[in-house]
Amino acid sequence: MASEVSQNHIRVRDLSVRYGSTRVLNNISIDIPDKKITAIIGPSGCGKTTLLKSFNRLIDLQEGVSVSGQVFVDDEDIYDPKTEITHLRKRMGLLSQRPQVLPMSIYENVVYGLRVHGEKSKEKLNAAVERYLKEAHMWHEVKDRLHTSAAKLSIGQQQRLCLARGLAVGPEVILGDEPTSALDPISAEQIEQRFLALKDKYTIVLVTHILRQARRLADYVVFLYLGNLIEHGPAEEVLNNPRYAKTKAYLEGRFIEEPEIEKELDLIKLTFPESLKALEKVFKELKVGQVLRIVSGEKNLQGLIRSPLVAQHTVLEIKKRDALTSEVIMQKNEGGYSI
Amino acid sequence: MDIRHWKDLLARRLMFLLCVFVLSLLFCIAWGLYHKASPVLAAGSWQAILFSSDWHPSQGRFGLAGFITGTLWVTGLAVVVAVPLSLLTAIFLAEYCPVRLRDVIKPVMELLAGISPVVYGVWGVLVVVPLVRDHLMPFFSGRFPFFPFASDNYTGFSALAGGLVLAVMVTPFMISLMEEVMRGIPFGVRESSLALGATSWQTTKKVILKKAAPGIVAAVILGLSRAIGETMAVLMVAGCALQGFPRSIFDTTYPLPALIANTYGEMMSVPLYDAAIMLAALILLIITVVFNMAAWGILLHLERRET
Ligand SMILES: Nc1ncnc2c1ncn2[C@@H]1O[C@H](COP(=O)(O)OP(=O)(O)O)[C@@H](O)[C@H]1O
Ligand SMILES: [Mg+2]
Repeated sequence: MASEVSQNHIRVRDLSVRYGSTRVLNNISIDIPDKKITAIIGPSGCGKTTLLKSFNRLIDLQEGVSVSGQVFVDDEDIYDPKTEITHLRKRMGLLSQRPQVLPMSIYENVVYGLRVHGEKSKEKLNAAVERYLKEAHMWHEVKDRLHTSAAKLSIGQQQRLCLARGLAVGPEVILGDEPTSALDPISAEQIEQRFLALKDKYTIVLVTHILRQARRLADYVVFLYLGNLIEHGPAEEVLNNPRYAKTKAYLEGRFIEEPEIEKELDLIKLTFPESLKALEKVFKELKVGQVLRIVSGEKNLQGLIRSPLVAQHTVLEIKKRDALTSEVIMQKNEGGYSI
Repeated sequence: MDIRHWKDLLARRLMFLLCVFVLSLLFCIAWGLYHKASPVLAAGSWQAILFSSDWHPSQGRFGLAGFITGTLWVTGLAVVVAVPLSLLTAIFLAEYCPVRLRDVIKPVMELLAGISPVVYGVWGVLVVVPLVRDHLMPFFSGRFPFFPFASDNYTGFSALAGGLVLAVMVTPFMISLMEEVMRGIPFGVRESSLALGATSWQTTKKVILKKAAPGIVAAVILGLSRAIGETMAVLMVAGCALQGFPRSIFDTTYPLPALIANTYGEMMSVPLYDAAIMLAALILLIITVVFNMAAWGILLHLERRET
């Protein structure tokens, strides 16, 4: 697959995740840009953590989880049974919501990852401790007490220690699951500064429910709602000019309403001339303010959205049903032609 | 005040009193035992009783050391067998086992813990004693004819048989305690180790066991204190003939609880005999209480640390 070498570290294709029978992620497809900060935003319970943990397969630990679709990390499908999970995880550092220091000294926390991967050389371990504690901006705070228990550190220091520990295994990607939510403002600020400093070297994916944090840090934004990928794109675009109604409502802090579907059109079984006729008919019948759902094949989706028929309508949402079909939900605007 | 408030007050007082009563039972028993044992303590020095294995009641010599060491010998054997078994099983249940399988295994384990000691005793006589007699004893005693394997007791009724039966009896209890301790460790700690690329075994070894260590120790002590007090099953398989200090795992032993159960009420014509048995009971009580307090101390400390 030489042609794909230049592609992004993390590519997600039609990823669905279920816990038992409840679906928490629906057909997510997305490319995470390299060496940028990508923020995953959305109300709590929408599947942000699940998406993040599917990148390093920590999701496997959840009871009753089933995953379909693919996540490619450097062109390797990580859900392929042949994938070495320990190697995959080595390439991704994780910062969790509450810092989780290991029950050992500061020094041992930093070298833990190196040790589990078989590093024994004392000099290398010492060098790693200094280097990564410096990268996490805490070397000066702890250099005189490296061999005391990490549990005695303040919670902000613990989170930076977790960062150093994650960096020490030499990852390409840093995953952060609301890493500042348990911290005081100053510690949170320090972690944010670290992310900004590290983004030239690492691909950073950051789950956050703090919009201001996303504005401060993110280059790219992914908005999830109830397990659906609603919108994703460069941060300025998504945060300032969201395309879809739900994104807009979320950003403005409004209640996110499910539109009430008044008409529905299934284009899947129709072929070209009939489909166009059916479209014209349904658009004609639709009244101002009414909402229409069109089910369409993936191939025709872009053509459909760009078609002049749709011009007087607001696309509220595009939902992936499965790998091949999508739903487009649109509302007829004021001033559109109607009968 | 209306009647329901009176009832409430009455219920509260009554339950408090009952609670106090139950607690005071322990002190009453301890005091009663001490009171009954005091004649034998007055007759000879306590050192002679505790540290001598010279047990000749008819001649007024009541050295309990043979029984005390016998108890520790059997219990020690039980622990040596039970701890690795319980620990590995608990690790499997807490760290590796799918929830559904665990939901099947745990009730079975509780069932095992609830079986009457006499049943274990019968099983010991029918299975463990022949196993020791026909296989373990010839193998070890023949190949390693020195301490603690050398013995001329060919019956199979032995300290080892007692230890094995005890081990099987306390294993379910220790497994369930250890598993609880391990599962009490926050999930995030596991995640952060695994997220660094550690395997489950590395995580267990380097993180989980380290965090769980005090709790595991407490579980072992609690198991130990159960094993020390266990009477019936051990009595049935340990031979119960006094050999002085233990010299082999294949010799018979006579643990304290077996002594008490076997002889109390039977040899009352011998002067001071009942006092000596009371002393044995008191010693047993003290050992059990100390062990339990140590274990609960550790567990409480852990609980407080986690919250
Ligand atoms: N282990 C689990 N078993 C069952 N449901 C779960 C589990 N973990 C999370 N969920 C559910 O999945 C949904 C998404 O959870 P999560 O990814 O943690 O959301 P977020 O991080 O956006 O708050 C939630 O509705 C949550 O209740
Ligand atoms: Mg979350």
